[in-house]
Amino acid sequence: MQVTVRLVGVFRIDRFREERRCYPETATVRDIVCELGIPLSLLGIVLINGSHAAIDDQFRDGDTITLLPFIDGG
Amino acid sequence: MKILTTHPAADPAAILYTRGTVDLKSGSIRLEDVPCRNLEDVLGGFGRSFQLLAERRITHAYCEENPLIVNTGLLTGSTAMTGLRTYFSGYSPIKGSKKGLPAAMWATGSGNFGPRFKWTGLDELIFEGRSPEPVYALVRETAEGPAVELKPARHLVGLTSHEKMMALRREYGEGAHVAAIGQAGENWENVYMGAVALSTDNQFKSGEDKMRFAGRGGMGSLMGYKNLLALVAQSSDKMKPTSPEVKAVNLNVVKGGGSARLQPISRGGGGGTWAAYDVLQAFHAVPVNNFRPQGDDLPEKLCREQVEGQVVIRSEACYRCGITCHNNIFEKLEDGSAGRFLAKFDYEPLNLLGTNIGIHDPVQAASLIHLCDNYCMDSISLGVTISYLLSYNERHPGSRLLNGALFGDYENIRELVVMAGTGKLPEIGRGSWRLSESTGETSYAYHVKGLEIPAYQPETNPGYAWAIAGGHMSMGTYGLLTREGKSDMDSWVEGITRTKLQIVGFDMIGLCKFFDITKGICTQMVVDCLKSEFNLEVTTDELAAAVRRSFLRGLALELRQGYEKAEYTLPAEVWERRNPNIRLPEITNQQFLAELQERVWAVFEPELAGLLPEAGA
Ligand code: SF4
Repeated sequence: MQVTVRLVGVFRIDRFREERRCYPETATVRDIVCELGIPLSLLGIVLINGSHAAIDDQFRDGDTITLLPFIDGG
Repeated sequence: MKILTTHPAADPAAILYTRGTVDLKSGSIRLEDVPCRNLEDVLGGFGRSFQLLAERRITHAYCEENPLIVNTGLLTGSTAMTGLRTYFSGYSPIKGSKKGLPAAMWATGSGNFGPRFKWTGLDELIFEGRSPEPVYALVRETAEGPAVELKPARHLVGLTSHEKMMALRREYGEGAHVAAIGQAGENWENVYMGAVALSTDNQFKSGEDKMRFAGRGGMGSLMGYKNLLALVAQSSDKMKPTSPEVKAVNLNVVKGGGSARLQPISRGGGGGTWAAYDVLQAFHAVPVNNFRPQGDDLPEKLCREQVEGQVVIRSEACYRCGITCHNNIFEKLEDGSAGRFLAKFDYEPLNLLGTNIGIHDPVQAASLIHLCDNYCMDSISLGVTISYLLSYNERHPGSRLLNGALFGDYENIRELVVMAGTGKLPEIGRGSWRLSESTGETSYAYHVKGLEIPAYQPETNPGYAWAIAGGHMSMGTYGLLTREGKSDMDSWVEGITRTKLQIVGFDMIGLCKFFDITKGICTQMVVDCLKSEFNLEVTTDELAAAVRRSFLRGLALELRQGYEKAEYTLPAEVWERRNPNIRLPEITNQQFLAELQERVWAVFEPELAGLLPEAGA
């Protein structure tokens, strides 16, 4: 299935901002994270179609998955 | 610290801390060893200072009975990574209840001053009364133990915080580190948001003004009122060799989940707190023009990606800290090399003296941060008070206030910062609460309980209402909606009353929050450090209980200083003019807040009884 993957902040470095990508029906967000080599220690937020989701959640054809780093206060 | 037990929770009186009391009026100085009353006393920081503040009935911050308490935490100056904190506590000139009573506050910062202070043999210094002449305090390590002296400070009057530090370092040399106020604190009558700057090795080596700050609550103004312009701590470097146990902890801090994301991007980290810009922008929740995000890409102008080409960014760290969370910004010369140091870009000051006042040019934002740091003001209070003024001026084009500055109007905003920092603009220097009371338009003032909120939209954090010392670092709920996606009442009640209040533990023990910001201090890592450094046996449950008692004591103290429950709320604009641009579930309508208040107090209230001693008359 085809989904849109959006990356935020440091995740864009040497990757992309937004891309249409193909994954198997059973794929989870973790598969995307691993495929893109995003360190789990930096991953703070996962959104599927703008709503918070968990890393082991599955998604559907046409969904938009956004991966964001942590926020730690300032 | 004299440690005569291995079980501090069961036998705290067998641990004694060394306290100096300085009567600024008479110049008399008393040193004594004080037995700890409980584990909070042992841990230190605000856990101890708030117990002392609770013994006094203070009705005005600028009165002789209001002490300034300078102390450290148990792990300050230890081999545990980030153990650099110094705490400044007193009744605040800026934060107070609507009844007009000042709130107890603490402010804290890193830098090298804390360890040097600790290594002199002192754990706490209480400044009583007020000096008739400007003075600074010299704390020295001697063969007989710590020695404290007051010295004339006329030559320091009118200098910036950095200039004061450099002058004192020249006088006292290598082993000396300094805590100093700037012109803002000296002009305490008109500036209630004065900060205390803490010197760093990097600052002294480079000559660049790279100090750290104990910013919140006007502790620098209280210091100025006392005519105490600086403290110098002079001692040898007493850092012990790091034990294998602490080495393992430090490695975990640097490489483990806790702080990896704060490390430099070049090391595979997230690049410090600046990264919050990217994350919050994804929800259109970066404060813009007095906390009114407009749903556009304007904030991206100060995202790292866009700033990178315009300046040189260097990752630097506090003394011996492997986290290296600072992003220091330098002018970019024609050949691409680094020129003049401009400022340190942390999320809060960058936003509040940048995007939130309509400044989107990184060099202009850096210049405002730099000025704020040198006059030594709290960048949060300053930025938010200015943004209030700018929003007022935008709403009232025919009757603008002060110099008529508007959002983005750099020259006029710069003038406001200079005038406020030098005490010539009490309308700004006394904070947004007082300014909004004078205009009558209080809904637009982004303070909670009299203290300006940091750069997290209140729509994302109803927990602000229960923060006891500034909006995010004394109540860790600022990421509950944004990061964790929690919008249900149960999660918020649990967060505020149980899990997220634990963040204040860092402000007791002497560690920086980035040691392990998500888990707090009640962890095996801290237990291991205390065992290895002091042979103390403490459980995570005992630590958690001490942190909770300290938090609740802070809350009880607020109530005693006249806060009504109605003051535990958010700026009213949040529900009066709901912002449709923020892409997150709405959790700050009046109905949600009313239920949250009821449920939070139902948990807290029964626990507040008996936490405070009888205050003196
Ligand atoms: S985490 Fe950052 S602020 Fe804290 S001690 Fe380390 S470098 Fe300093």
